[in-house]
Amino acid sequence: MTALAPIRLSSRLRANQGVLVVAALLVILLIFGAFISDRFRTTSNILNIFEQSTGLALVSLGQTLAILTGGIDLSVGSMISLLSTLTSGLIAGKVSMVLPVAIGILLLGLLIGICNGLLIIWLRVHPLIVTLGMSAVLQGIVLLYSLGPAGSVPPSFNFLAYGKVLGLPIGAVFILVLFLLVALFLRYARLGRYIYAVGDDEVGARLMGLPRARVMLTVYGFSGFCCGLAAIYLTSRFSVGQPYTGLNYTLASITPVVVGGTLLSGGKGGVFGTLLGVYLISLLNNVLNFMDVSTHYQLIAQGLIVIAAVSIYVEKKKRV
Amino acid sequence: MVDVSQARATEGPAISMKSRLSPYALPMFLIALIAVSGIVSPAFLSTSNISNMLLQVAPLGIVVIGQAFVIILRGLDLSVSSVMATAAVIATGFSGQNSDVLSILLIALGIGIATGLVNGWLVTKRSVSPFLATLATMIVLQGFRFAYTQGAPSGNVPPLFRLIGSATWHGVPYNMMLLVVLAIVFGVVLAKSRFGREVYITGGNPTTARLLGINADRVTIIGYVISGALAAIAGLVLSGYVGIVDNWVGRGFELDSIVAAVMGGISLSGGQGGILGGLFGAAILVVVFNAVLLFGLPVQLQIIIKGLVIVLAAAFYVRRRI
Repeated sequence: MTALAPIRLSSRLRANQGVLVVAALLVILLIFGAFISDRFRTTSNILNIFEQSTGLALVSLGQTLAILTGGIDLSVGSMISLLSTLTSGLIAGKVSMVLPVAIGILLLGLLIGICNGLLIIWLRVHPLIVTLGMSAVLQGIVLLYSLGPAGSVPPSFNFLAYGKVLGLPIGAVFILVLFLLVALFLRYARLGRYIYAVGDDEVGARLMGLPRARVMLTVYGFSGFCCGLAAIYLTSRFSVGQPYTGLNYTLASITPVVVGGTLLSGGKGGVFGTLLGVYLISLLNNVLNFMDVSTHYQLIAQGLIVIAAVSIYVEKKKRV
Repeated sequence: MVDVSQARATEGPAISMKSRLSPYALPMFLIALIAVSGIVSPAFLSTSNISNMLLQVAPLGIVVIGQAFVIILRGLDLSVSSVMATAAVIATGFSGQNSDVLSILLIALGIGIATGLVNGWLVTKRSVSPFLATLATMIVLQGFRFAYTQGAPSGNVPPLFRLIGSATWHGVPYNMMLLVVLAIVFGVVLAKSRFGREVYITGGNPTTARLLGINADRVTIIGYVISGALAAIAGLVLSGYVGIVDNWVGRGFELDSIVAAVMGGISLSGGQGGILGGLFGAAILVVVFNAVLLFGLPVQLQIIIKGLVIVLAAAFYVRRRI
């Protein structure tokens, strides 16, 4: 028995190598940041990083599941733009409208995601194309609705973005709970296992009679739901929604997923790596800010990280 | 771990009905579209509007030619818009005189080719998905562009580019002539040359290509280089069309060029279609956008139509393959 333990441990480590690399990078960046600036070391800055990562974490969570099935959701950016514009546009400053609108937005996100899933199943077109098309349609719709910031939200609405529970940002706590729930779902629920199976070997999954349609509807519906959450959060943070709120989130949501070790070909990875990826990117942007690096170079850094991450992980997959 | 491409290969030969159906389908659709638009809005068929549409087709068409190579090779190239904008920024980066045209052309082509090499290297040697590889190079290039221009490009486009991009010779735009020349050259390469055949075989079935002794990696890399180089040329042409350059010249061309190619019968699963089809796709797209404006419909409808077209066209060709 004791002879077996080290083997299992080492294989475990190898399986999670990517997550370990990201964790190590996180620690290195933290130490580096602490050297660069005194203000970096403050609790408020660390809490700030957590707080700022909430929106990205929400979108990336849905994206992770889509990518695990071997697909991708390129409609997240436009969906956030549409949903956040609708949030502030429909609330229009009235406190009584907050709850019904919030529920409506979450349902609408779910519905758009399910539409993505249905189109993918019916048309048998790659998710890339379906969600790309959906993205253009949604962007057009939101611009038809409003060409600029729409409506407003009551001042108390910013509680979601800036409120605190036990001294921690409410969004960050919510993220931790949500990621934990999804991780448990992926690990223990039958449908969660199917997500991996469909992504790992679509032909095999079909031959085994796994319910691909149900998996797709779940995954893209959930991604839409996450966009609803992110839209509400971002509206609360910026106190108004506008038709380009989500513009950068399409790419941004893919970065933490691939950095966290989820393969774009599907079937491998998980939400824990994604969460570390989200923190890594938020931390990196924070450190670059402290170094007074302009956003142009932050863009370059993000692109290079994607290239580095995908080439490292892909090589690993080949070797195995 | 079954590779998707292998799975596809075992599904049996992709019997295409395209050769029997479509040679006249696209031109007829285009003619019908023009006729209907002309009836609904007579201004559509005015000389100035037609000339204007021809001017707009050329930059898109040039990008579509490159995109065609990449898509036939089972890839797609999102970095074209970033290459275009960078080339356009370079065009105004000099004195704005004709004497700098050659240096501008060489630098722009160099950037396009370098981007293509990186894309091709990532896709072949590192097995990165074309989508992600070209997305990443697009972002990196965008970052470099912003850093170079500090957010606000200035300067003038050399007169020669202005001439090629926006002037006409007896009603025929110069950029249209450039498009025709490029289309013939690359059309012949794709349809008649040994390299062209290798492109179709590699895109149609990489395993077959390997068994036939084709250097699939090299073919793929050259495909991305062609796309990058043509995007650079299209960026220069477009800079001549718009006259003033900002950081976003060519924005949306990555999506438009893919939509045009897919509409023109260049299947995203690779190995099918040709440049002529892609150009018809580009023409249809320009006519549709133009009609939306002339009919007095909201501009936003253009985006929605684009989204619907890409999904429906892809679905149409998927159905036909089976």
